[in-house]
Amino acid sequence: MLVFALKRTGALIVVLFFLTATVFVLGKVGNADPVRTYVGVNASAEAVAEAREELGLNNPVYVQFADFVGGLFQGDLGISLATKRHISDDLASALPATLELAFMAIGMSIVIGVLLSSLYTRPGRIGSALRFVFFSLASAPSFLIAMLSVLIFYKWLDGALPAAGRSSYGPYDDGTGFYVLDGLLHGSLTYSGDALAHLVLPAFAASIGPGVALARVLADGITSSMKSPWARTARSLGESEGTVLRRHALRNASSPALSLLAVQAGMMVSALVVVEQVFSWNGLGSYLKTAIGVGDFPAIAAICLILGAFYVILNALVDVVLAAVDPRVRLS
Amino acid sequence: MSDAPVLTVDDLEVVYRTRDRVVTAVTDISIAIEAGRCLGLVGESGSGKSTIGAVVQGIIPDDGTATATGRVTLAGRDLTPVTDPVWPQVRGRDVTTVFQDPMRSLDPTMSIGSMLNRYTGSAAASIAALARVQIRDAATVLKKYPHQLSGGMRQRVMIALALARGPKLLVADEPTTALDVSVQAEVLNVLREASRDAGCAVLFVTHDLGVARHMCDEIAVMQNGRIVERGPADQIISDPHEPYTKRLMASRITLDTDRSRPVGAPEAAVVSSMEDVLKVQGREGGDVEDRWAASSLCWDDFRGETAAVGAATGDDAVRLVSHVTRASLTVNDVHKTYTSRVKGRKVHNHVLKGVGFEIGYREAVALVGESGSGKSTLLRIAGGIEDADSGAVDSQGVAGEGTQVIFQDAGASLTPWMTVEQLLVERVAHTRTGKDMTTGQMRDLAVRTLELVGLDATIMGARPAQLSGGQQQRVAIARAVVVPPSVLLCDEPTSALDVSVACSVLNLINLLRHSLGIAVMFVTHDLAAARLIADRVLVMTGGEIVETVPAERLAQDITTDYGRRLVDAVLA
Repeated sequence: MLVFALKRTGALIVVLFFLTATVFVLGKVGNADPVRTYVGVNASAEAVAEAREELGLNNPVYVQFADFVGGLFQGDLGISLATKRHISDDLASALPATLELAFMAIGMSIVIGVLLSSLYTRPGRIGSALRFVFFSLASAPSFLIAMLSVLIFYKWLDGALPAAGRSSYGPYDDGTGFYVLDGLLHGSLTYSGDALAHLVLPAFAASIGPGVALARVLADGITSSMKSPWARTARSLGESEGTVLRRHALRNASSPALSLLAVQAGMMVSALVVVEQVFSWNGLGSYLKTAIGVGDFPAIAAICLILGAFYVILNALVDVVLAAVDPRVRLS
Repeated sequence: MSDAPVLTVDDLEVVYRTRDRVVTAVTDISIAIEAGRCLGLVGESGSGKSTIGAVVQGIIPDDGTATATGRVTLAGRDLTPVTDPVWPQVRGRDVTTVFQDPMRSLDPTMSIGSMLNRYTGSAAASIAALARVQIRDAATVLKKYPHQLSGGMRQRVMIALALARGPKLLVADEPTTALDVSVQAEVLNVLREASRDAGCAVLFVTHDLGVARHMCDEIAVMQNGRIVERGPADQIISDPHEPYTKRLMASRITLDTDRSRPVGAPEAAVVSSMEDVLKVQGREGGDVEDRWAASSLCWDDFRGETAAVGAATGDDAVRLVSHVTRASLTVNDVHKTYTSRVKGRKVHNHVLKGVGFEIGYREAVALVGESGSGKSTLLRIAGGIEDADSGAVDSQGVAGEGTQVIFQDAGASLTPWMTVEQLLVERVAHTRTGKDMTTGQMRDLAVRTLELVGLDATIMGARPAQLSGGQQQRVAIARAVVVPPSVLLCDEPTSALDVSVACSVLNLINLLRHSLGIAVMFVTHDLAAARLIADRVLVMTGGEIVETVPAERLAQDITTDYGRRLVDAVLA
């Protein structure tokens, strides 16, 4: 098991390296002149030359790449051409905001997936009605769900759930940026609860699609598992249907569901870029929107790297979990 | 323990209702088994034997599609009516089951230990349970997962699971049908001894009379939902009264089976002219003996052809000589190594170590060997499915259409969304023969071939899933011979089939070989089948051919250890 995890980590590092290299090369061949963005259109020739030197653009390409990678290792993602600040400082609040939302959305899609899958496997009038509702929701784009939920829970239900921002209280100065966690660290359940309430609507909007997809795969897996010869064996040994489901079918059905979840979760972060706009969520999405607007390439590259790394790490994690669930993966 | 039977079934009838049909699966069934005894229910697919097995486990579907009437008493508990809700407490305690397919009957995600401990209570008890099914290295096996064990080991684990809580009744549903013949006898012995030690009654469901005799004290033969004959096992085998039992006995293949006529045929039929041949071959299957006689005529034709070689002159002689003397398949010094990584190190598995042999024109050769001996790899290389590392394979022969392969699992080898017609026509269209044919001609050829393999042309529109296992194998064979290949390669084509179906497929292969003039390479574990099909039997171990024996004298002449073991594995 440990060997498998180590191997997977090794592969992960290789993939991350290539991701970094790709982002770096894209930055070099891109049209935007970083110096111009940095010093402004009307700067003198000396100022441009100075900026070029300062940004390290006179060094050979491999040195620039080495600097870039070296910086990454120290958490330095470069300097934003637009804000002139370290991108890592800019992202210090945006990244946790998006990650917190992403984790919540992934958690919600798992809950939706598991609950809905039991509806899929159990036919009935209420079941099919709910299936229909969720299926319709899943076929709508996430920003539409986002706007609808604002309309319903904020406007019509008179603010039953908050629909803007991350907290009613503002951040802790010494916080991690993960508000729910910060509340717990400071012993304030009120703070955490408030942060959670703020998370519900945006996370729901982002989790419907992945949740329904998950439900279908899980339901298919459970249905075929319950019909399998080994489920029959378990029944012949006196196990009840419930035990067969919990002890055997869920575990066997979870492998394809986990693989799907990894892919869906990776794409979810991209979907969040849009959802964040609707809920005035100051995360990566808002930052990216600004960066694209002004051609702030280092910032765009940094976000690409972070999103890519998130996707790759998540998939590696799921592979390890898959191996833990299915001995055929780790022992073959 | 009292002498009262553990299980009694009185006057059982089970009726299945589908949308448009009512089928009586079994009727008028009364059986009783005492503790420590074994009753065999023997019959073919559809005879109702598995339905009885299901009833005594209480797993008749409860959705209104099936009704069961009669009386079932298990371990003194009256379970009438048979769909009684008390079953969930009975199943798993008083009655457990060993199923047919050990490959898929164990949860692939759970270790043997985590499965077994649940029913034995502790790891120590599990080790004892595994020891009872003669697993020596029990502590290691407990840590393993099903996919790491051989079929025979998995079935032992299955038996240990079933016996773990000391059931009163064990239902064994074709427990060795899916196993290699060479491990079948071992597993049967384990099952018999372990269940006797546990003192439980065994209801043994099988289609194989030889297996039933090996296992059971008493045998009940079933046909069309009724018990047609019952009695002590030895008497049923040695002195069957009912014609159906006799027929079942006749379709068993042993090392003494008469090779000169079709298996299962009561007596040789007489077919005297070529007209008869055509008439018989054009008819829908069933009359195996007629068709056989017809093929023998073709065979005689060929003998005549051979004799003519000596007499012929000029071009005729050249043509005949090239026909008769050129090998259909030549395998010359073939090597194959698979390289895999185990814990980071490269491991070379030398599967074939310089194998060479020839199969002559119209000759049939059987290749026997244990799992891992390289025989299947050799078949794949001969069939062009895989490439050899070195050495040469020439399969062009005379016909020039190369090789065709039929596999054990015919159902899986037929494309599920294609109809029988599409399957056959597609094959024709991809050959030299098919290049100049119209669709209509190809279709005609397909119909003729179906008739040749004993299928009605009405199944042309059917898809594989709508066919029985025997029909699927026949379609697979039809696809292989619709344009006759030089060599027909057979990879255990009968080991998944009912005895009588298996024997009709063997007959069919023999028939096609003679009537179409194709050579056959037959890979199997089953020496009796090998002897029936082949002229010569090659024994493989460790990637080499260690022995070549004429089929006629197989039992006497075979000398290698493995060969002797195979001989012993054929249940007389």
